[in-house]
Order: sequence, then structure tokens, then C-alpha cells
Amino acid sequence: MMKSLLDSMLAYWILLLAVSLGVAALIYLIWLKDALI
Amino acid sequence: MFDFMIAGIEAPILLLVLTGMTVGMVGGFIGVGGGYMVTPALIVFGFPGYMAAGIDVTHIAGKSVVATIRHRQLGNIDWVLGLAMVGGTMMGVEMGVRLLNYTKDLGLSGVALLAASVAIMIGLFLYTQIETHRATKRITELAKEGKTVGRELKVSRIPIFFQSIALKPIIRCHTARLVVSMWVVVIVGIATGILAGFFGVGGGFIRVPALVYVVGTSTHIAVGTDLLEIVVSGGYGALRQYMSGNVDMIAVFFMIIGAMFGAQFGSIATSFVRGPAIRFILSYSLVLATVGAFLRLVYFLTGQQHTFINFFAVVFTLGEMIFLCLFILSLVWFSVRHRHGKWVPGWIPALVVVKE
Repeated sequence: MMKSLLDSMLAYWILLLAVSLGVAALIYLIWLKDALI
Repeated sequence: MFDFMIAGIEAPILLLVLTGMTVGMVGGFIGVGGGYMVTPALIVFGFPGYMAAGIDVTHIAGKSVVATIRHRQLGNIDWVLGLAMVGGTMMGVEMGVRLLNYTKDLGLSGVALLAASVAIMIGLFLYTQIETHRATKRITELAKEGKTVGRELKVSRIPIFFQSIALKPIIRCHTARLVVSMWVVVIVGIATGILAGFFGVGGGFIRVPALVYVVGTSTHIAVGTDLLEIVVSGGYGALRQYMSGNVDMIAVFFMIIGAMFGAQFGSIATSFVRGPAIRFILSYSLVLATVGAFLRLVYFLTGQQHTFINFFAVVFTLGEMIFLCLFILSLVWFSVRHRHGKWVPGWIPALVVVKE
């Protein structure tokens, strides 16, 4: 299943973007939330 | 948290080092300074806007030296082309700044200028995407026919037209393997410089596609040669910003630590991929930066009241850098797997270089 998902460039693009935005949200919550509010 | 006394704020050191590393990697790979990613990120970390621009351009100048040295070792720099273009670019930037001041005097709104920049970014993204998809399709077809495919393949016919202009003086670019009128190179430099000066950015993301699709260099040469230009333009910008007191050298120092490693990795990573892979990443960076800028604009236009828009804008600003880095890392990883005969996704072989 994972291989067939990765076989589509668009699906891989979306998966990677979702992971990146998740990591960015974590960084926001850990370091920046208090500074920005 | 570290107290940056010149900037007058406290910010986490690790974030600055990581930002330098990620933007260094992306810049070394696609041949841009990355100002359109770094300046918003520094503002998010709490640096004042003028200080963010100063720190950004100073760190770009330092990082570009590292990336340029590495690209020179990889044979990706055409000095004749770079030096012919840099004069036109500097002239163009000056014209762009004057044009911006003129439009301000005419009362053209900032929103109209932003709409123009978004239109250019989206136009570049669409053209690069369409051309690159066609190129990868052609590479796959040639590979199926059993033909050897080099590290570059373009399907755009535009460079053939510009290379046929026989206006003297003609320059011979040995590394780029092309013969072109110097006027074409200078005018491309002026045109991309005007856009860079007008929109207040370094302009690497415009110059690299211009070198590939107008002058007709390979993507690898465009990346290396553009970084050489950034050393000159970034160095000048850094000096001007430092003289204006807009640079916190401690912040620059932390960013450069990360950027040194990132820029080297990004530069070396280009030797694992074909030209279309670099153009793909460049087009992704364009569209993601546009979405990030759009979100920030919406936040300011709505009176900075909706914190969830700010949250999305911040997450997108950081997320786009992480995304581009992960994509570059995964391309290198898949390239190594492909060389060892292991399974890779079906779209990878057209994008990576296989050494015999």
C-alpha cells in the first residue's frame, strides 16, 4: 500500500507537505506560541 | 532563548541554526539566496522587519560563498556568463528600485504590486511545471527505447530563438557549452534585475528560470552561475545594510553555522539529480512562497485580529522550508537506492542520475 502511494508523485508531494506542516506546527507550539501571543 | 541585544529581542538559537541550514540546503540546490523564505521566518521569530532584511542579506552573502565554492568544484559555474550577466543585473536592480518609487508616486497601491508579484510567481510555477513534466516524460520514453539520457533534458524551444540572435559581440561560454549574443545575456540580466529591484527580492528565483529558458544553459550551470551572482549582489547588499545599522552579527553568526552545512549538502545533492528535479523543487518553492505571502497579507488586511490566520501563516512559512529540505533529502536517498538496484517510486528514475 505504501509503495503504491509513493508511486504517485502528487501523493508523495501531499504526504511530504502534510509531514512538514505538522513539524512546523510542533515548532510553533514549542517555541513560538508564547512569543507571538 | 538568547538575548540579541542589537535587535532588542530574545529568540531561540536552535531555530536560527536550523533556519540557516534548511535555507542553505534549498539555496545550494536550486541556486537562490532564499530571502523570500528567510525574511518572513525571522519576522516570525520576533526580529523587526528592517533587521530581518539586514540579517537575511548578510547571511545570504556568506552562505553563497560556501555554495559557490562547492559548485565551482562540481564544474557548475560559467564565469564568462556570470560576469556578463552581473553588470546587467546591477543596472536592472537600480532601474527596478526607481520604477518602484515612480509607481509609489503615481499612487499605485501595495495590493496591486503584490498581485503583480503573485501573477509572476504563479506564471513561472505553471510554465516550469508543464515544461518539466514534459521533459521527464521524454526521459522515460528515451530510457524505454534503450537510449542513454544525460543529466539534462529540456523541451522548451525558447532558447533556440534567443541563441539565433546574431547581434555582436558574441560570447562563447565554454562551461555552459553555448554561443550567445552578449546583448541577450545583458538584457536578461537587466530584465531580471528590474523585477528583483521592483519586488524587493534578490531575484535568484527569476534568474535561474531565465538562464535555463531564455539563455539556454543547463539547470546545473544556471544554479552555479546564479550563486556566483548572489555573492556579488548579496555582498553589496550586506555592506549597505551593515552601514545602515540593520545587521545583528550574532544572529548572522548562528545562521551561518547552519547554512555552511546546508549549502554544502544542497550543492553536492545537485550531482545526484537531473536538471528537471532541480526545476521541480524551484517551482514548488515558488508556489509555496506565494501561498505563505498570501496568508500573511490576509492576516494584515483583516486587521491582525484572526489569530488562526496568523497560526496558518507561521506554520506555512516554516513548513515550506521543511518541505523543500525533505524533498531534496528524499531525492538523494532515492537516487542512492536506485544506484544499488533497490525499489524506488516510478517517477524517480527520470529525475535522478545513475552512474554506470
